[in-house]
Amino acid sequence: MTGESDKVGSAVVLAGGKSSRMGRPKAMLPFGGEPLIVHVVRRLGLLFPDVVVVAAPGQELPELPVTLVRDDVAYQGPVGGIVYGLRACGSAAGYVTSCDVPFLSLPLVSHLTSRLPGHDVVVPNWEGRPQPLHAVYRRSVLPLLEGQLERGELRPVFLYDKVRTLKVEEDEIRTVDPDGSSFFNMNTPEDYAAALARWERTAMEAAPDRCEVELLGVARLRARTSRVSLDLPRSATLAQVLSALALELPALVGPVITETRDGLTAGHVCNLNGRDFVRDASRPVEPGDRLLIMSSDAGG
Amino acid sequence: MHGFHDRLLHVDLSTRRHHWQKTGESRLRAFLGGIGLGTSLLYDFAPPGVEPLGPDNPLILASAPLAGTGLTTTAKYAVVTKSPLTGFIADSLSSSHFALALKAAGVDAVVIAGRARAPSYLFVDDDGVELRDARHLWGRSAAGAEAAIRAELGGDVRVAAVGAAGENGVRFATISNEGRHAGRGGVGAVMGSKNLKAVALSGGARISVADPEGVAAAADALRRRSLGEHTAKYREIGTVANLAAFDRLGALPTRNFQQPTFAAADGLSGESLTENSFSRRHGCASCTIRCERLFKSLSGNEQRMEYETLFALGPLCGLEDPEAVLEAARLCDEYGLDSISTGGTLAWAMECVEQGLLPEAGDLRFGSAEAVLAAIPAIAERRGVGDLLAEGSRRAALALGHGSLDWAMQVKGLELPGYEPRSLKTMALGLAVSPRGACHNRSGAYEADFSGAVDRLSSEPGRGALVAASEDFAAAQDSLIVCKFLRRCFDDFYAEAADLLAKVTGWDYSADELRRAAERIHTLKRWFNQREGWRPEDDGLPPRVLTESLATGVARGTRLTAEELQAMIRDYYGARRWDESGRIPEARLKELGLPAGHDGAWAHGR
Ligand code: SF4
Repeated sequence: MTGESDKVGSAVVLAGGKSSRMGRPKAMLPFGGEPLIVHVVRRLGLLFPDVVVVAAPGQELPELPVTLVRDDVAYQGPVGGIVYGLRACGSAAGYVTSCDVPFLSLPLVSHLTSRLPGHDVVVPNWEGRPQPLHAVYRRSVLPLLEGQLERGELRPVFLYDKVRTLKVEEDEIRTVDPDGSSFFNMNTPEDYAAALARWERTAMEAAPDRCEVELLGVARLRARTSRVSLDLPRSATLAQVLSALALELPALVGPVITETRDGLTAGHVCNLNGRDFVRDASRPVEPGDRLLIMSSDAGG
Repeated sequence: MHGFHDRLLHVDLSTRRHHWQKTGESRLRAFLGGIGLGTSLLYDFAPPGVEPLGPDNPLILASAPLAGTGLTTTAKYAVVTKSPLTGFIADSLSSSHFALALKAAGVDAVVIAGRARAPSYLFVDDDGVELRDARHLWGRSAAGAEAAIRAELGGDVRVAAVGAAGENGVRFATISNEGRHAGRGGVGAVMGSKNLKAVALSGGARISVADPEGVAAAADALRRRSLGEHTAKYREIGTVANLAAFDRLGALPTRNFQQPTFAAADGLSGESLTENSFSRRHGCASCTIRCERLFKSLSGNEQRMEYETLFALGPLCGLEDPEAVLEAARLCDEYGLDSISTGGTLAWAMECVEQGLLPEAGDLRFGSAEAVLAAIPAIAERRGVGDLLAEGSRRAALALGHGSLDWAMQVKGLELPGYEPRSLKTMALGLAVSPRGACHNRSGAYEADFSGAVDRLSSEPGRGALVAASEDFAAAQDSLIVCKFLRRCFDDFYAEAADLLAKVTGWDYSADELRRAAERIHTLKRWFNQREGWRPEDDGLPPRVLTESLATGVARGTRLTAEELQAMIRDYYGARRWDESGRIPEARLKELGLPAGHDGAWAHGR
């Protein structure tokens, strides 16, 4: 399939699911003083220029920097949400998730988007089950999903046999999200309490930290600046740093930072503190680290 | 024969005679062209123990199978001779239209021996070979001579020439064409010693390839790849990008290797030069990468600048002002001086002055732009202290004594390029064992250090094999010839390059045969050196590197001990399957089809 764009430029967050066992809307559950949806949208914004939130009719939501769409008919299940979300996407493919994912791993999300070439859907298999609300969908599957909706086939898995679907297995997932934290979701008040405890534990370790990035060579000429300082969670990976950098300096995306915003192009390399060259984007960046982005070829 | 002309031109300047000789397919298959062919001819035609600046030292200009085929970055040729700086092999590359003209002259190589009675230049065209008077060109810059000869003979003539430095036997003089130089090892001094100002070429020999469509398709694919991510640095900023990066990595030799960082690096960086003084981008003939950068000085001059020149005339000598460095580079070009050895020798002299030695050097101190700009012409003209410095840092230090050899930053007599060995330890080994002396071109050992695959600040067994592989890789590229800046555009270099060679020559040539040829070429360089008196202590690094720890930067305190280096060197000999003292066992020579004795008998015949 030539001419097919593999750029996943959009994220879709389904915020309108039923929260019957939780007893209140999951999107609004407070984490660190802010509704969960605010955190989720902020994180996805690091990777995707376009974020779509699909909410139920009349659902109350905070102010968000997103494209907001409403389900026409509430509670049609995930297929409905995916259809409404993909319709509103500004790019040829979107990563779709629910809103109750407090520990969503951006390296995993970037990894899934990077697997799209040659497929229509990329879906992780976690604990033996496909996870349709952690999956990447091309917009071209919309007609099939719309057909399902009409026929009342409300489970996304029906789609997978009809299109080119890549199932990403657990071993592969663990290389970027070792304990599968992305798949932690909440259905009961007990789940929420457990999540909050975990959130606070990580928050203790994750006081925002400043990371200095120095751009050299082509990166500096393209960005027209040589130094940037980024605020990041303390355990941020190199991939997250690059996502944040891409947001700050979009001119780097393409020539220096990959389109998936989680790595560097082949001509570039990252060095930590002038000491080590880092090839592995899942490597965490330590507090006070100074990152150098330079040409990967030292010839001269 | 496709890809080659199967013809060598021998010129004897003393007798003013020339003759042609078949190159021979076995020689070409075994050594390809460029550096490989040049090395095999040097081995055969240099009398053992020949005096580098004496008439019998052959000056060899070698073309290559890929030259003239239109493949990107292949307009290159090699100059090979015995170096007056090191006493070992000097193998340098230069490029562009002169290289294409050499191919079009219908020869695989020109072997020039003897000494002309009066200043002369050699002219080769389809009508014959002529030695012409060059007395009116003597004393002129290489560029001036090039222009004058083209005005005399016509614009389709291409010229490589020496400047005043070559005429005056400066041991690190270059041969220049179109502003590019066969730079290292003093090949220009050898040319000047022959009273030869220039070689001028104009020919229309057909360059035939076995599979024109296959070559055209490969050329197209390579051109496309040459414009990809891997060459972004060379296309968008050029090699000057190294300066700031090396500074941050603690790998930028400063003030004669007293420090690995330079406080004024930002003002002198390639990024700043590009932002403040960029004038023009340029490239060799048939190159799609076009890595050359010209910068404009305040006086309006346009000056080519590369990392090595920038480092050697800037941080190495403590010069902070980009204007001064551009001017120093212009002077090196004008007189035909290798900028690395110029900077290295000046830095040695500056340290002598710091130590209270060398009073005749006056104010030649680190950071003194004025003194540097005065010293460069003095070296080229061998005036005053310039006469001593024209000998290069090793000979100058041996003449001066007072322990000054300790801070002569050279290996085998060749001044170190801009890679700090203590913070780039694979490179340290590469510099120590290279047949050419401290060299960053005939291997790219630094690549391992910059890859993150090894810890550049430590050494462990395995570096020897990395260096050997890098040397062989370079030998293959330098003999085909493709520019090293294309190297990362291949997925599987040996397979793809062998395939290219097969398409050009029509030979059935496998990746393994190419690998073996590369190893053979490298081994012959070394074998030549052994014949010319190489001793185990010639493989090594200057005392400063082995006794002082790094004074500044991220790698501050890092050392490279003599034992550590020796262990790496032994590891390298092991990887090469040489004996423990670095000598090549007869069995290895035989395996590679090289002559085992130095008695002149040689498989490919003289
Ligand atoms: S990359 Fe640079 S040195 Fe190599 S052939 Fe092209 S212009 Fe010449």
